[in-house]
Parts: sequence; C-alpha cells; structure tokens
Amino acid sequence: MDDINKEEPMVMHIDLNSAFATTEQQAHPSLRGKPMGVTNRLSRECCVIAASYEAKALGIKVGTRLSEARAICPDFVMLETDAPKYHVVYQKLVAIMKSYSPNIKMKSIDEGIIDFHGMEPVLNGRTLTDIGYEIKQRVKDEIGDWMRINIGIGTNRFLAKQAAGWHKPDGLDVIDHRNMKAYYKEMKLTDLNGIADRNEARLNSYNIFSPMQFLAAKEYNLKKQVFRSINGTYWYRRLRGWEVDEYDTKLGMVGRQWVVKDPTHTSEYLLPCLAFLCETAGVKLRFRNVEARGICVWATLQNGELFRLKRMYKTTFFTNQEVYRRAMELFNQRPSGAVVTTIGVYCYGLESSKASQLSMFEDIAKVGDITKAMDEINEFYGKMTLHMATTLEGKKIIKQKIPFGGTEYFELLLKST
Amino acid sequence: MDPASLVNERVDVVLIHYANASERLLCVPYKMKFRNQEVIFTVFGMRHPTSKGKRMVHVFEMSDGVNDYRLEYDAERLTWVLVSVMEGHYGG
Repeated sequence: MDDINKEEPMVMHIDLNSAFATTEQQAHPSLRGKPMGVTNRLSRECCVIAASYEAKALGIKVGTRLSEARAICPDFVMLETDAPKYHVVYQKLVAIMKSYSPNIKMKSIDEGIIDFHGMEPVLNGRTLTDIGYEIKQRVKDEIGDWMRINIGIGTNRFLAKQAAGWHKPDGLDVIDHRNMKAYYKEMKLTDLNGIADRNEARLNSYNIFSPMQFLAAKEYNLKKQVFRSINGTYWYRRLRGWEVDEYDTKLGMVGRQWVVKDPTHTSEYLLPCLAFLCETAGVKLRFRNVEARGICVWATLQNGELFRLKRMYKTTFFTNQEVYRRAMELFNQRPSGAVVTTIGVYCYGLESSKASQLSMFEDIAKVGDITKAMDEINEFYGKMTLHMATTLEGKKIIKQKIPFGGTEYFELLLKST
Repeated sequence: MDPASLVNERVDVVLIHYANASERLLCVPYKMKFRNQEVIFTVFGMRHPTSKGKRMVHVFEMSDGVNDYRLEYDAERLTWVLVSVMEGHYGG
C-alpha cells in the first residue's frame, strides 16, 4: 500500500450544496429553514431537481415527485428555476475563487476547483484550511448570509471532492496521506465518486468490498483484471492522491433533447417542436464557433422502442435552417403512427467555424451574413425574437431548462431568459 | 400551484444607496407603497440583474419579515414594478 502522494494538499474543491434550493431560500427569506425544492416546470407530477437541507432531512431528494414530497410533508414548497438568480451566484462564486488563483475550473454551476499549485508565494504561509474558512465567510458576505458551501482539500481533484462531501452541510475537510486510510475506513465503495453499482459489482467480483481493500489492490490486478483497461491504473493512482483527472474534454457533439409535453404521433405537433430544438442546436453550434458535418435524430416511442437515424455529409453546416432541413429528413422516416415521447437532435463531426474565411461562393457568404445578422438581432432583442416560421408553435410549447453538468451554455441560456 | 401570486403593478419605492457597503448591499429598497399600503422591508434577500434583450432590469428579492416580494427596477425606464408576492406565515 505504498506510492501514496505525500505532498501538501493544494487542490480545493468548492461545492455550493443544494445550490438552487439554497439560492431560493436566500432570495425568499420566508422559505428559510423550511422544506422546499426547485423544479424546472411546475406541475402536479413534476420532480425535485434540488431539495433544501430541511427537505433532505425528511427524505425528499432529487427525483422525488411533488405529490410524493407533499405526502411526506404537506407544507413542502416547490418553486420553478430562475436562471438569472443562479447566474449571479455562479458569477460571484467564480469571482471569489479567481481572487485566490487563476487556475480554477468550474465543474458545473455549483461546484468548482481551485488549484493552488504554484501559488505558494501568494499564500504567504497561510494554510488552505485558513483560506477555506475565509472563502466560506466571503460567500456569506458577498452572495448571501444563507449561502453555505462545502470545502474539500486534497492532493488531487478526487480527494478534494471526497473531502467536500465528507461532512455536509457547511463542512471543511482535508484528506491527505495523514488521514487517508482513516477516511477510507469510514466509507463504502459507492461513497467514492465514480464508483456506482456497476463498478461496485465489478470490484466485488474480485473480492474488493471496501475502499480499504480497493486501496490495497495491486495496480496490475486493477488494470488487467478488474477494469481491464488503463482505468485500473487511473484508479490506483487516484486513490493514492495522484492527479489523473486534470484534462480538457473535447467537444464532440452539440444538440438538444426534449420530453414531449403531450406525447403524440402527429407531425403538426412534433415538427414545430423539432424545429425549435434544431434552432437551439444551431445557436449552440455558432456559440461554440463550430460547424457540423453529421446529424443524428432520435426519438423514444410510447411502445418502448427507440428510433434513431444519423447521417454524415460531405460539407459542413451551421445555420438553423440547415440543421432543421437535415433533421426533418431523418425524423420523417420514423415509424408512421408511432407516438413519440422524447425527441433528441444532435450535430456531430464538428469542425472549427470557417465564418472568418472568405468564401469563393457568393451564396454561401450570403447565408453566413444573414445568419450572423439574425443572431445579432436575437442577441439584442432576446433569444427567439427572430426565428423560422415552423418554430412558432414549438416556441409556445418548449421551455428552456437550466442545464445541469457543464457551464458551457450558461451565458447562452441567460440571453434567452 | 406556484406559491407566488403575480401582481405586476407599478409601485412607489423608497431606496437607500449606501456609500460604504459591500457590493451586495450598495442599493437597498427601504419601503414601498402598494395599493395604498406601506410595506417596510426588513430583510434583503438578493439582487440580481436580468436582461430583457439589451435592457437591464434589476430584480430585488425583499421581505417584510413575513411575506416575500419580488421587485423589478427597469434601469432604462426608471420604473419599479412589484412582480409577485409570496405569502409567509406569522409565527405563533
């Protein structure tokens, strides 16, 4: 059980727990200390996407339906998400984090990492624990007195995140070579980030039932037997506090999916919704400054089947109209009469945008200019001010949701609110 | 189903601009007159800007200790609108 990283922990994970719910409690003092939750669209059967600490204590968690939550607690309050509110919290949190190190990485809207490597002169002898407590106070002063964050400090991203989840809410913990084994002894395998049911079963099949046994496993066995890939080596190093998770992901696809509000088979209802999704995908393409060569359309059907068609083209496309034309061609090939419950469209085969290059063909240049003009109008007057006629009905039906996970499209979302 | 009741009415607001306060509390609504009733704010929830196209609207989430009020200040038109009220409960 050697090879443990013995350097001073320099990675800090900050997690604004129950971020949306806590933000709503900050904004609505009457909800503080009460069980409440946030959902994307208020309806009788909507489900919680963020629950307050008070609701969690009652067993109401992410995914609980409103009716179930009210059965547990009749006074449970559900609010709709409010993107600008969360954006302010996000911006202020980023500003606080950036004031300590330029090397920060937001993992999602409510959690991020500060890497203090190379910042030793600026730390001026202060420990990361001191800085952690200072950040907690600054969050209360600069964002709101109800806001609480969990802070974890470790030698790598994995241990820092584990530490942030150790004592919720409002915790601050350090995991390093001194207390690593004591920490692992307290935990179950599924308490480790990245180990869910399937990985647990995989580990169990090799007689690894606890994090301590996982830590004791040999690198060769993890690589060749348990994970049968380089992931085994990554886990071996990750558990010991070595950094293996610092990488940038490559943009592979851009798209949008939507759970059909009123499942149906009629094109009159579905096509305007598809057009709306294609417009969103087109805007995302241009926002990320890329063009696509491939398109995929998929739909889940009420009979349980999945319809999925994809096609690759020789030339790239980036306008909303082109995305829709290609997507519609594929979507129209779905089984006739099949009731659609979910629609998804994504563009792949992404290449850097050629918008800044002069085109030899006048008509292509014109399309680019018109698209640019449309985007500028929409940016000035609000998203979807100018759109395809087909989208008109879809715009009334589909509502923009708060994106979970990455923060790439948060700025774009705010333009639409 | 939505716990907040929509109002969307123009209201009179008395505002305090502090010279020395944190950025969060530089500008705080003190009280408002709504349907001939004066409401004094005792808790500052949050202020967040919202863009309506290129127009900037500042949203103030305020409370009088019982009810929560969502006020919008249109920085271009210089208007205050009480957007919604969420009723709280008196203690005891």
